[in-house]
Amino acid sequence: MEDFEGKKILVIQTHGVETPTRTYSPLFYAMAAAAMEIEVMVWFTMNGTNQLKKGEAEKVQLVKDSNVNLKTMLEMAMDSEVELRVCQQSLELWDMKVEDLIDGVEIMGATSIIELSLTYDHVMYF
Amino acid sequence: MSHEKVKGCVILKDLHYNIKNNTWVRVIDDNTVVIGMTDIAQSLAGSLLHAKTKSTGTARRLGKPIATVESGKYVGPVKSPVAGEITKVNEALASDAGLINRSPYNDGWIVEMKADNLSADLADMVTGDAAIAAYSEKIEQDGIECAGVEGADTY
Repeated sequence: MEDFEGKKILVIQTHGVETPTRTYSPLFYAMAAAAMEIEVMVWFTMNGTNQLKKGEAEKVQLVKDSNVNLKTMLEMAMDSEVELRVCQQSLELWDMKVEDLIDGVEIMGATSIIELSLTYDHVMYF
Repeated sequence: MSHEKVKGCVILKDLHYNIKNNTWVRVIDDNTVVIGMTDIAQSLAGSLLHAKTKSTGTARRLGKPIATVESGKYVGPVKSPVAGEITKVNEALASDAGLINRSPYNDGWIVEMKADNLSADLADMVTGDAAIAAYSEKIEQDGIECAGVEGADTY
């Protein structure tokens, strides 16, 4: 396997709990990138933001009777050193405050994410 | 080769285990080791579709990936339990990642490494009865069950 250490990927997630089938894959790709020693950040914006509200991700389960739900996917991603960031402006869309966010997620503004995206090697948009 | 089964999970007594990363180490000589995923690790990962090893000659620090493995429900690194250089990789895994599921301790080995300081790394692992005890506790705590691996009874 080629050595990708030092590369950076930004994953942008715009889908939320109302479309469960669109929630797992971005995190799966993010974890794959992290396993390949790529620095990876998932940026939640638009509808993507609502899965980060405490108590919401637990309700999203793709496979019945599985012990994995969207909350565990988010936790696994963080355990894999995937950084999770949320768009400050989109919090208002969902009437969310800082204290509503699950632990481990940091807030960033639009200009910060634009700056960051210019320093990343690749952007995956979902 | 002495082994025990805990909830169907095979644990070989003559291997050294890094419990946290769920990897095993077979000592070949003073500083050469073969490394793989445990039966517990492969059971948790599920049927593997892809396994990509790092290249021969790659230097690894403790805990850095020696491979990535991927199933329908899991993707993650296999973290090196020793620091050193990869001297050989299991080429068969490129076309048949399921070898890790079927034979985690033999045909499904992942890499061979030349360790920088093997005795120090081994000091942080468990072997023999201590490995059985440590894994028994983990298996119980995490509610793990294994389906069994090929030829386990011949170990």
